[in-house]
Amino acid sequence: MTSATLSITARPVRTNASVLDIRGDITASAEPALMGAYADAVARGAQTIVLNFAGMEYMNSSGIGLLVTLLIRANRAKQRLLACGLSAHYRQILDLTRLSDAIAIYDDEADALRAV
Amino acid sequence: MTTVIQRFRRAFGRAAPQAPVAPERARAAASADAVRNLDLTPSDPLLGYLQRTPGVIDFQNLRLASPMVERLRAEGVRLAVPLLSQGALIGLLTLGPRRSEQDYTSDDHTLLGNLASQAAPALRVAQLVRQQQLEARERERIAQELRVARLIQQTLLPRSVPDVAGWGITPYYEPAREVGGDFYDFIELGDGQLGLVIADVTDKGVPAALVMAMARSILRAAAGRLDSPGAVLERTNEVLYPDMPPNMFVTCLYAILDTHSGRLRFANAGHDLPYWHHAGGVSELYARGMPLGLMPGMDYEESEIVLAPGDHVLFYSDGLVEAHNAEREMFSFDRLEALVGAHADGGQPLVDMLLGELASFTGSGWVQEDDITLVALGREAASGNEPRSYPATQTVDEHSSDTWQTLAELEIPSLPDNERLAMEQVGAIACDLGLAPLRLERLKTAVAETTMNAMEHGNGYRADQPVRISVRRSETALAVRVYDYGAGGEIAADEPDLDAKLAGLQTARGWGLHLVRHMVDEVQMGSEDGMHMVELIIQL
Repeated sequence: MTSATLSITARPVRTNASVLDIRGDITASAEPALMGAYADAVARGAQTIVLNFAGMEYMNSSGIGLLVTLLIRANRAKQRLLACGLSAHYRQILDLTRLSDAIAIYDDEADALRAV
Repeated sequence: MTTVIQRFRRAFGRAAPQAPVAPERARAAASADAVRNLDLTPSDPLLGYLQRTPGVIDFQNLRLASPMVERLRAEGVRLAVPLLSQGALIGLLTLGPRRSEQDYTSDDHTLLGNLASQAAPALRVAQLVRQQQLEARERERIAQELRVARLIQQTLLPRSVPDVAGWGITPYYEPAREVGGDFYDFIELGDGQLGLVIADVTDKGVPAALVMAMARSILRAAAGRLDSPGAVLERTNEVLYPDMPPNMFVTCLYAILDTHSGRLRFANAGHDLPYWHHAGGVSELYARGMPLGLMPGMDYEESEIVLAPGDHVLFYSDGLVEAHNAEREMFSFDRLEALVGAHADGGQPLVDMLLGELASFTGSGWVQEDDITLVALGREAASGNEPRSYPATQTVDEHSSDTWQTLAELEIPSLPDNERLAMEQVGAIACDLGLAPLRLERLKTAVAETTMNAMEHGNGYRADQPVRISVRRSETALAVRVYDYGAGGEIAADEPDLDAKLAGLQTARGWGLHLVRHMVDEVQMGSEDGMHMVELIIQL
């Protein structure tokens, strides 16, 4: 069985911005880790949250559902979501679901941070 | 005069002679073990002293911080003379106190010196003769052991090859001079099921042969009672482990062939991965598992493929891939895989071709380093309607007049996260077919999403309701069919819309089918033999 090891950690990069480093799989079971890291970043004052997908191995439709949930929460709290480090394949999927309209996508973390 | 010849067995030098024939003129009352082996450690200063100082040594006046000198002195040794042969110290002639209780004279010293110079070559000859006898005996013992090992091994290998209509099975076995622990076995399981074993015991000679005999019997017993290759290896490991000599283990691949359908289920205890030649190229047959006899409580992953008519599989041992040429290069897995991939013929032509390649690789004068074992299993090319066991292959394809060939049939237990298994296995097949990386990723996502739907909506994550997947190809396309036990009612969900979701008008989820539709070139749904089926088609 594939035992997906997942870790998502919030890493403050500015006083008002944090990067969430995602390592592993974004599936339904990633919900506690993703929402926990998000809450962690917000607690440290982040208004902008960069989702760093460089270490992500696999994301399924449940994972996309989680991103939608996260986006809804961020919209309500007037926070910005950015994304970086996506493979070409998952970038296509974010385009297809139109999530890329609501989450600005950058090639890498440096690009994303310039936009913060 | 008490004459004592004491010989030194030095820590270095393997051919230490034993019990020499010595000129012995001791009185009956003198100690019976006058000729003894004394171990003189290389660090004892006496050793260097004896090598530097030919001639008679007066022990009473010898000042040397040597444990051996102390010991000999305590035993009453007064004089000693080293026995040197071609500069090498081969023994020491020692004298106790003179019986007249007077001191030794200079004549005695001279006599002893002469005696030593004549005794040394005689002793050396005796030692060499003795050494040669021992070596001859050792060679005979090794030759005898090789005969026993070879006999055990040959007794245990199958005497005949199962004769199965529609299938060709060609074993080849060539032991190395120092017989290794390779073996293979065929186990008739009845009802068209045939067990195939290929294994390699670490170590060589009689110990390996005995472990091989034990492993073979245990595996045969387990195979007769258990239907699953993984369970057979698990059971074999449990029984074998307690009796396994230290530092030995057995790599073993066990497969069960359904000779009717071509389904080959297999599990692997750390053995070299077989190569499967199919219409799409060549693939390794992978299943995870530790070698047998290393530790208890192991479990063994089980995989399966379906051999289509014309497919063949090569089982082999490391003697082939690890053969070295004069430049110390290995024959290698890559070379073997390429050769299997490039040759459509299985059976004897495949074995002959591989042996020819090996011979030209190693060149003349090559000494075979390890046993070489090959078992080529091939399904004869179709000559009419083949019986099929799975619904996937019973249907006539409605998409095109192409002929479709089944590459694999998988069974995925309905458990959370198992869609990754389906995705990886189908992905590996598609990758072998040369699908471009981005299209491969899209196919994998489609397979994962379809399998997840099947496990969740179709089978309700019930353990006894696996998802079945067939992978087929035509000249131009790859088709993946995913079967579940549901009615397919989940299809009617609304087309997902991000704005509607963000506004709370739709759930955040519900993306699966939408993704699937956009990932592959065609999606078909239907039912077949009472099972709900989704078919994904991607052009090659």
